Amino acid sequence: MKGNIVGHSVPKVDAKAKVTGKALYATDLYMEDMLYMQVLRAPYAHAVIRKIDLAQALAVPGIVRIITKEDLPGLKNHGLIFKDQPALVGIGEKVRFTGDTLAIVIGESNIQVRKAIKKIKVEYDKLEVITDPLRAMEEDAVTIHTAGNIVCTHKLDKGDIVRGFMEADLIVYNEFKTQHVEHITLQPDAGLATLEEDDTICIWAATQWLHDTRVDVAQAMGLPVEKIRIIQPAIGGAFGKREDIIAQLHLAIAVREVKRPVKTIYSREESIIATSKRHPMIFRFRTGVKKDGTLTAWEATVIGDTGAYASSGPAVVHKGLYHCTGPYDCPNVRGVAYTVYTNNTYAGAMRGFGATQTAFAYESQMDIIAEKLGINPIELRLKNAYQVGSTTPNGQKLYASVGVKETIIKAVEAFERLGGVIR
Amino acid sequence: MKKRGVGIASVMFGFGYGEGFPDHSTASIRIKPDGRVEVKTAAADVGQGVLTVVSQIAAEILGVPVESIDLVNGDTAVTRSSGSTSATRQTFFTGNAVMNTAQILRSIIFDLAVKVYGKTYPELYFENSCVVPHGAEEKKISFAELAKIAAERGEKLEAEGSYFPITTPPDPSNGQGERVYVSYTFVTTIAEVEIDLGTGQVEVIRMVAAPDVGQAIHPQNVEGQMEGGSAQGIGMALMEEILFDEYGTLLNPNLSTYLIPTSLDVPRMQTVIVEDEEPLGPFGAKGIGEPAMISTAPAIINAIYNACGVRIKELPATPEKILRELKKLAAGN
Repeated sequence: MKGNIVGHSVPKVDAKAKVTGKALYATDLYMEDMLYMQVLRAPYAHAVIRKIDLAQALAVPGIVRIITKEDLPGLKNHGLIFKDQPALVGIGEKVRFTGDTLAIVIGESNIQVRKAIKKIKVEYDKLEVITDPLRAMEEDAVTIHTAGNIVCTHKLDKGDIVRGFMEADLIVYNEFKTQHVEHITLQPDAGLATLEEDDTICIWAATQWLHDTRVDVAQAMGLPVEKIRIIQPAIGGAFGKREDIIAQLHLAIAVREVKRPVKTIYSREESIIATSKRHPMIFRFRTGVKKDGTLTAWEATVIGDTGAYASSGPAVVHKGLYHCTGPYDCPNVRGVAYTVYTNNTYAGAMRGFGATQTAFAYESQMDIIAEKLGINPIELRLKNAYQVGSTTPNGQKLYASVGVKETIIKAVEAFERLGGVIR
Repeated sequence: MKKRGVGIASVMFGFGYGEGFPDHSTASIRIKPDGRVEVKTAAADVGQGVLTVVSQIAAEILGVPVESIDLVNGDTAVTRSSGSTSATRQTFFTGNAVMNTAQILRSIIFDLAVKVYGKTYPELYFENSCVVPHGAEEKKISFAELAKIAAERGEKLEAEGSYFPITTPPDPSNGQGERVYVSYTFVTTIAEVEIDLGTGQVEVIRMVAAPDVGQAIHPQNVEGQMEGGSAQGIGMALMEEILFDEYGTLLNPNLSTYLIPTSLDVPRMQTVIVEDEEPLGPFGAKGIGEPAMISTAPAIINAIYNACGVRIKELPATPEKILRELKKLAAGN
């Protein structure tokens, strides 16, 4: 329902502060006595750490403190769904991708901190590196986490898939693959932390979910939730990347140790190496269809590479499975989704959350089917598109607001109005 | 030689966390002593415009101009959880929470006004930060005066409200559930591409997108989402790919080697907003954040096939890949 204000493009409430430069992003925050923090990342994607020698790094002028896991034996893993990600990897422990952290370095200037990081010497034993999720699923593959390389398996079974394929006049099988994609938020990862008089740790850093960030930071550090305060500065893009909390946790650890404000800004390179990616996914689709274009069966296998840590992966990959038939009614659907660890940079939430990857696969499949049947791709879509009363692959009945057919009709009209010709 | 082709893609997106995962949003609103309206949520505005959306909803229900809304930014010490800015959920979840809260506050204000005027509900209405009696407009009372009256009576013009719908966890054996997601957004994109058969370079020359958003709270924001999402979709379709070598070393961690679309890669595009109202959404609205990018890549990939017969099954459709496939096609002929 349109109102006097709702349904109208009023000036954006945050626009003026942003275009005049008044909006404060985490990178803009400054305190007189603040220190700078950077971290040492893993030298190899899969290895057991044997020794971390800080002597030369500590001798760099301006270095205030270097924190390793040995200083924080009680530090717990963090993670959005499974707590499988360490904020620091210690001696005798494994790094699982090149973004894992071995030391938190704090000093008076960023230049000094970066210089010190280069002087830390690490000894390690290499392990087999797995970059292919199909290799990770093989029985003889080295396990990246003790419970095995398959993080989780999800199943889908609606209707009667065998009958669905028997009713089909044409069965089409294809495999599709998507790639690792980076969010490229305009604003770099950055944050500032302070320690208040009552020992509350205040963190200013762009996050998509303040309250969840607070709980995860608190549990990793073994602190009551109330001792962590997250304050939202202006945010320069997120796209899913700012659900994971690694910089916030490093800042919290650092500020507690040095008891002075601590600031960090990642370089673009570090951000790309160490923070989450879009899951590369493999889709194996077998689709049954009648001569007139009616879908009868859709069988799907989905494999998602979540990299070194689960992050949002267990939810992303099966969302790809649950959306495998797109906006089309198919009475018989069966499928399985595997979320798999590798030694690639961990994959997490990114705009579309698995549904983006699967759309490339099912919409390619629909066009392939249309050509094989000699049906116009638009007609094939209109024929199978959801309407009120349709059920999704999850068996959810759609009761209202099912505008997919209208989106097809309106898009075609607009395209033709612009002079486009559909061939 | 260059060839053109057109491709279409339609997509569905179930929004909210769904699957029985606790998903809620809380808001609080009060009338300040100066009559301005303070809206508190922890919804993160990552640029998409949720703070504008919640301001519009609060202003609409309370009968105040958007300019009289003061927003309190997310801070775990002063705001309760609004859930994440993810899952395409903020317009729907925090929008509903703000709508519910504004309605509670509206009734608190009404109850006080009834006592002040000695008149009952049908005789009063809200307009421009005032309560106005029908037929006696000169006797209107501003929110600032009402706030003062409330304070004198020891009452508060403030309310807190939430939106916390129930969804169904899918049965682990078969993924079936009655209400796995709160609702679904649909988008169709049509893309026209031009392929240079000598270089394999693809240019997107025309694009339209039609999202079904239930009701656009802020049509320009919807267009912004569609344009930004489509640009990201062009990147995914044609150029973006993080590469690792066999040792797990990330090979292209810079914008010189990891290419994203620039304004020169994005065509003029048109968004046609479809509004098939969602009864559960605030004013009928559904979310658009994520579905805004989903239909772009498949529309482009289908357009490439339409143009030159190359079916790309592994993203992205780089010039190298297209040239390789064109050679295979030529050899097959």
